[in-house]
Amino acid sequence: MGNGTSIGRVRGLGSAKSGSHHWILQRFTAVGNLLLVLWLIFSILQMPGLDYESVVGWLAQPLVAVPMALMLVSVFWHLKLGLQVLIEDYVHEDGLKFFAIMLLNFYAIGGAALGIFAIAKIAFTGGAAA
Amino acid sequence: MAIVGAMGVVWWLVAAASGPEAYATFMSVATSPVGYIVMIGLTWAFFQHMLSGLRHFVLDVGAGYELQTNRTWSVLLPLLAIVITAAVWLMIFAGSI
Repeated sequence: MGNGTSIGRVRGLGSAKSGSHHWILQRFTAVGNLLLVLWLIFSILQMPGLDYESVVGWLAQPLVAVPMALMLVSVFWHLKLGLQVLIEDYVHEDGLKFFAIMLLNFYAIGGAALGIFAIAKIAFTGGAAA
Repeated sequence: MAIVGAMGVVWWLVAAASGPEAYATFMSVATSPVGYIVMIGLTWAFFQHMLSGLRHFVLDVGAGYELQTNRTWSVLLPLLAIVITAAVWLMIFAGSI
């Protein structure tokens, strides 16, 4: 110690040399989740019904499809960051840790991609019927 | 929430994108007794995680570390999460959705 300020140390200059970026992204995505998941909950509560036609017609609207896609990015990113810390803290065997973090990345990116594709398909093909 | 909740939302969206039959399959599982238990559990998990996250935002800016304050919020928020979850599902079961 003795060199630099405390804020300088946490800006990538601490003993680990990294980590604050991960921490900040977890907060950014947390705020994203706060806004977007609450939006989803209030939207679902206000919908007249959750039958197929209502849901597809609802999802086809631009102001629904886009926040829903952003919500998936925010949620899957946030859960990837959070579960990565869980694995790093509790999985001590290097090979298993590598494998677990790889699976986590596949899950997070794959899940988000699948959900966004589904929204895009509804938005681009199901809108006319709604 | 990270696994069951995220997969549940993606399943809902993929089912809606796949057609009425796939959506009917999703709805039959979601509205089964187990489906309701899972959804109520996820609602509670979400509000618990959200309120705890908000509490940690306050702690992140360096506030609320006094023992009494810290203890009060840490006890209060899990109770509030249960109250919000109950309120949401009472609204749903009361037929306002």
